[in-house]
Amino acid sequence: MSQDEQPTGGPGQTDPAGHADSAGRTATAKEPILSVKDLSVRFWVGDEWFTAAEGLTYDLHPGEVLAIVGESGSGKSQSSMSLMGLLPRNGRASGSARLGHRELVGLAEERMQRVRGNEISVIFQEPMTALNPVYTVGFQIVETLRVHTVMGPKQAKQEALRLMRLVEIPDPEDRFNAFPHQLSGGQRQRIMIAQALACQPKLLIADEPTTALDVTVQAEILKLMRELREKVDAGIILITHDMGVVADMADRILVMKQGRVVEEGTAQQIFSAPQHPYTRQLLDAVPHLGSRAGEPGATAFGSSGQDVELEYVDDLAAIPLESNDTYEHPGGRIETDHTALRLAGATIEYPAIGRRKAFRAAHSIDLAIAPGEVVGLVGESGSGKTTIGRAAVGLIPVVEGSLTVGGIEVAGKKNKDLRELRKTVGFVFQDPGSSLNPRLPIGESIGEPLALHEKLKGPELSRRVEQMLESVQLPTSMRNRYPHELSGGQRQRIGIARALTLKPSLLIADEPTSALDVSVQAKVLTLFRDLQEQYGFACLFISHDLAVVEMVASRIAVMRHGHLLEIGPSSDLVAQPRHPYTQHLLAAVPVPDPVEQRRRREARDALLEATEGGLAS
Amino acid sequence: MIRFILRRTLSTAVVLLVVTLVLFLLLDTALDYYADLRQSTAPNIGALYEARARLLDLDTPAIIRYFQWLTGAAGCLVGSCDLGTAWVSGQPVTDQLQGAVVNTVKLVTGATLVSILVGVFLGMISALRQYTGFDYFITFVSFLLYSLPVFWVAVLLKQYGAIEFNNFLSDPVVGWVPIIVVSVAAGLIWMGALGGTGRRRLLAFGGATLVTFGTIYYVLASGWLYDPTFGIVGIGVFSLATAVAVTFLSTGLSNRRALWTALTVAVIGIGLYMPLQNLFWYVEMNWLWMFLLALVAVGVGLAVGAAFRGPDPLVSGRTGAITAIVIGVLIFIDRVFQEWGRYGDHPAINQRPIATIGASTPNLTGDFWFVNLDSFTHLLLPSIALVLISIASYTRYTRGSMLEVMNQDYIRTAKAKGLPGRTVVMRHALRNALLPLASIIPVDIITMIGGAVITETIFGWSGMGKLFIDSMNRNELDPIMAYIVITGLLAVVANLVADFLYAVLDPRIRVDA
Amino acid sequence: MSTTHDTPPASPFGSGPDDADAPTAIESKEDAGLSQGAIVRRKFFRHTGAMVSMIVLGLVALLAFTAQGVGPIPGWWIHNHVSSGPVVNPGGAPTWTLANPFSLGEHPFGQDDIGRDNFARVMKGTQISLMVMVIIGATALVIGTTIGALAGYYRGWLDGLLMRITDGFIIVPTIVVGAILGKLIGGPSFSFFGLPLSSYLAPMLGLVLGGILWTGLARLVRGEFMALREREFVDSARVSGAGDFRIMFTHILPNSVGVIIVNTTLLMSQAIVLETALSFLGFGIRPPQISLGQLINEYQSAFSTRPWLFWWAGLFIIIIALCVNFIGDGLRDAFDPRMKAIPSQRKMDRADRRRAAAGGTTVTAATTASAAEPPDGGSAPSDGDDTRKGEL
Repeated sequence: MSQDEQPTGGPGQTDPAGHADSAGRTATAKEPILSVKDLSVRFWVGDEWFTAAEGLTYDLHPGEVLAIVGESGSGKSQSSMSLMGLLPRNGRASGSARLGHRELVGLAEERMQRVRGNEISVIFQEPMTALNPVYTVGFQIVETLRVHTVMGPKQAKQEALRLMRLVEIPDPEDRFNAFPHQLSGGQRQRIMIAQALACQPKLLIADEPTTALDVTVQAEILKLMRELREKVDAGIILITHDMGVVADMADRILVMKQGRVVEEGTAQQIFSAPQHPYTRQLLDAVPHLGSRAGEPGATAFGSSGQDVELEYVDDLAAIPLESNDTYEHPGGRIETDHTALRLAGATIEYPAIGRRKAFRAAHSIDLAIAPGEVVGLVGESGSGKTTIGRAAVGLIPVVEGSLTVGGIEVAGKKNKDLRELRKTVGFVFQDPGSSLNPRLPIGESIGEPLALHEKLKGPELSRRVEQMLESVQLPTSMRNRYPHELSGGQRQRIGIARALTLKPSLLIADEPTSALDVSVQAKVLTLFRDLQEQYGFACLFISHDLAVVEMVASRIAVMRHGHLLEIGPSSDLVAQPRHPYTQHLLAAVPVPDPVEQRRRREARDALLEATEGGLAS
Repeated sequence: MIRFILRRTLSTAVVLLVVTLVLFLLLDTALDYYADLRQSTAPNIGALYEARARLLDLDTPAIIRYFQWLTGAAGCLVGSCDLGTAWVSGQPVTDQLQGAVVNTVKLVTGATLVSILVGVFLGMISALRQYTGFDYFITFVSFLLYSLPVFWVAVLLKQYGAIEFNNFLSDPVVGWVPIIVVSVAAGLIWMGALGGTGRRRLLAFGGATLVTFGTIYYVLASGWLYDPTFGIVGIGVFSLATAVAVTFLSTGLSNRRALWTALTVAVIGIGLYMPLQNLFWYVEMNWLWMFLLALVAVGVGLAVGAAFRGPDPLVSGRTGAITAIVIGVLIFIDRVFQEWGRYGDHPAINQRPIATIGASTPNLTGDFWFVNLDSFTHLLLPSIALVLISIASYTRYTRGSMLEVMNQDYIRTAKAKGLPGRTVVMRHALRNALLPLASIIPVDIITMIGGAVITETIFGWSGMGKLFIDSMNRNELDPIMAYIVITGLLAVVANLVADFLYAVLDPRIRVDA
Repeated sequence: MSTTHDTPPASPFGSGPDDADAPTAIESKEDAGLSQGAIVRRKFFRHTGAMVSMIVLGLVALLAFTAQGVGPIPGWWIHNHVSSGPVVNPGGAPTWTLANPFSLGEHPFGQDDIGRDNFARVMKGTQISLMVMVIIGATALVIGTTIGALAGYYRGWLDGLLMRITDGFIIVPTIVVGAILGKLIGGPSFSFFGLPLSSYLAPMLGLVLGGILWTGLARLVRGEFMALREREFVDSARVSGAGDFRIMFTHILPNSVGVIIVNTTLLMSQAIVLETALSFLGFGIRPPQISLGQLINEYQSAFSTRPWLFWWAGLFIIIIALCVNFIGDGLRDAFDPRMKAIPSQRKMDRADRRRAAAGGTTVTAATTASAAEPPDGGSAPSDGDDTRKGEL
């Protein structure tokens, strides 16, 4: 339909693979494909306009990746959605955004429809919900093709299969007829990308494209996107909060804060010499892998020294990738009878409900935590890391082996019999929004354990609640507020306060910071470390983020598919991972430094090559 | 799947058994078998009581009588039905049921289909025009309908839909004011439903008002009501309009091949009008013929679609087939209404065509068309009553479901792909919004059967519901039990069908057996 | 339904950092500093339809109860519903007139064939119907919530059993079971502690009808409990040492109060229609007791001669049911957290023009502390009508 508007040098349908256009990087001299001037987005809330983004001005050139970085509420996403006229009904955009010679702001709906998916396309964050569940993925790609081009069904199917091959979907002929729920998260995101590339758009908006994915899958998708940018001559707007992803992909960066651009520059400039204090704060807040580099023998895996790398490649012969045995580093186990938490051959199952079969989430795990020690538990989704945390407080039954908390056996006990245990264990939940009862004032939530176990009432209870609020650095006046009135960071502080009210000897922290913005995460982690020093509790710190775990834990355990694969002192494990899976995991973590990240990327590719094929995404 | 169905059937069978047992015992206490004897002053009253007890075997404990009844009812599974007798008339229950089941199914099926279609459509439009005057209007009307007691509506319908309307038909004169009010109201509704910019709304309002006014004026001025048929001109106009509308809804007017297919089908339909009239004249029709003709229509639609080729002949063919079916129905209606004059002149009708009582005029015979017309005039009012009370839940439900779906991420994706609004709604939103509807339809059908109890009683429609009420009043246990078993079975079947539909429509469902 | 959805697996990483550390996001701007209850109340008070309905329903109840009195307390209306008087207008037509001056006359709603005052009868009928409606609502509320809560919380075999019982109630139309039970409690073989039929019929009818109308509520409460028991705050309470009972009452029940209240309200609108229908069929309230449905039954044959007898009773049924429906709708909107006031396009346009006129200075108050992007997908509301799913 608008083939004639495509840049003449654009990739033909014939042989995109052969079209290695490195000119994209240096194309700044070319005409920009998108030029945004003074773009503002406002939302109508409660009889007033609130500005979500204001005064955005930038140019985007073909083949260039522009990263828009910011935390939630910075307006990064809405400003890009306004380019396609996809704001919610109470949103309005003003200013100017020209795609080629066409003004996008205020473009009539029918004409905008011809631009969407054809000249501008989007990759959304959550591929599960962004694909229509009742149609096959093949159909959804074909639909995009056929709405913008004159193409018969057979031809469109061939084209869709070509796109699916382009995004490296295995068995595209089979997957063509699969429904979204039958694919893995990574594959769904590949379908999203294929769909976005269908009509060879001039502009591709990737809205947090990897945020919902596991770190190894994220690395795969980023790799794919990097390869694709070589093949298609589109400009890419990458919206993300993750500085690591930015370092991996971006040519230029816009840093946004509360609706305004605070800093703009090339990736090199921003990462090496950030000017604005907010940018610096943002970069500082990102946990770096290898942050314990000061400790003996510690450097992050793949970050330096060729010889170190080679050593691992040699080692791969020792442990196959599929191995489910536990590798113990020296000092990986504690040798004491007195433990805060001990799992001995513990197997944990989600019980059968109705006709749903029982699901075994952890297989004979051996793990012990000494009093006052912080142990990190790392794994991707479905690894069973959360299961172990929940089993430790008796939320999920241990079916085989033993699990003791401070010497008390948990396995085989019913909820009623666990009252004593509840006094000695605290639990911090992942999602601070849903772990507080929305109908109770937070003072009551914090006080509940006290009221139940110590039978405290009245002024004594209030005193203790206020004390806890102070210890997590929140004003005591907050006790009468409701959870929905607080921010995510404040809620998570409340969650921590609640877990600590009974001064437990063991704390289970289940992804306590994964739902928070980086800068908030940094504050919460600092608070956590202070409290740990102050109260001296032992802690099982569960997270998917190795860098975060490394910051707080003295030992780290790695899990996959319900098996404990590797355990060792943090610095050791991060610098010298033994299990190939751990190596993959470490190699996949992007670091917020373009130069460093490029080196890591190459190291990772070498690693993947060595293990042949790598992990399925 | 088979295991799942067996499992469901078994568990519902157990539930049904328990329900029949409990209701049998309750009924046995509730029914007053001696009601007619209580006021009696007959000298042999004692003997009468005894005779009644013997007739109904009342000395046997109720629980044993239940199992006796159950044994008889279980016989239905092997072909020897014994559902007991209605003791007042001495008629076997199986005899009473025969006509009743057919009548109820006839009434409920039509009403259910109409209310689902209209309800879903209104709900969808209402959701798409959320927070506009049209939306508020539909919301208010659906709440009003939801609040209407069916018996009250039925009595009103009898008065205004039949008695007054029949009076009107014999002298169809309407003043100017009502005509103008109706036209303006129609204009407002169309304007609200179509929405859009100020100019578009104004056009919609003007157009709809004029068309409505013109139609009413023509109908009244030309005496059309005396001979309410479309004729070849009417069929022609309607056919072409249908072709355009169907194409718009199913593929969008930009798909030229589909549009040409639909228009060609419409022209073929118009061309076949006269030959069909001859066919209907010379050959005695029946429903089998109608079915075959419908098949032919679908075939023609598909063939025309295929003839236009293009990238996807199936889409054109589908459009053509739907158009052909609609035109076929129009011709059918036209033919039925050609009987209108003769029907009114019939002495049993006496120029009062809309019936208030019963399922058909007694002792009226005629050909296929004539009998159908009689059947329609009887079905009309009870169906309207049922549709009015059950349409609201579909409207509200679809609206809520649609709004929910329109907020989903995949709708945003569909828009981001550049799909036109019509495709986003019809293909991506509606299908997902209708999925949960599958779970309320069985419940609604049961409600509808319940509603039919009252409607049938008021309109003297000799169906299951009337049988139930009459038997309750006559204190006959066996027909009531038969009623409960049959509605229970209908409910079970409806549930199974809904589960099945759900599993077919939603690929995420896995049936766990 | 034992078909199950394959629910998408929850992402272990959450859905990205959606949470600003600023005090409030734009989304919750309107609700800053209010408790949940206060938010619900405010949204409800803003719902015009619901507020008007509240007032109308209140007036109807007030009129009905004061006019005819309650129990031994006499009402202010000059007639009662049983005694017949001389027929004032020919045929007993209503005596109210607009001809100046406006006056009600002695029988504003007319009289029936034996001269009974229709206003008194309609008021008495309204009283009884309202009472039955409230009793049905309360009974169904208790039974439905209890059964739904137990089934949803304990799941397993108890859930299976309770849901099969629910199915048993659902597969037979309520009007049929209602008719059987109505006939039972009004029949000669039923006696309620020796009380005369007239004194227990109405409340008893409410109880038995409540006993069959709870099924929809039970299903919804079950679903709600099932969903809520998987929420983290329930785990959090359990980790804090709370027992099953405390979790159900303190943690889950208050969070499902929205579903319960909304559906009980909607159930009451069905209740009044069911009661009147049964009374119309002769299996509910029956003479000499009166209810609105019974009045229509009694007068339906007189429709062509004395239509007022028919109109007024029907009108009151509709008013009550309509009001209750609108109140339910308002409550549903108020309890639905997704429900936000969406501005009309016109209002936004006007504000836009004002802003342009003021020289293009935006209201940037938001940016100072708390401009947060609304979660993707927008903030368009939805009036989750899905709550009607299991209703009968």
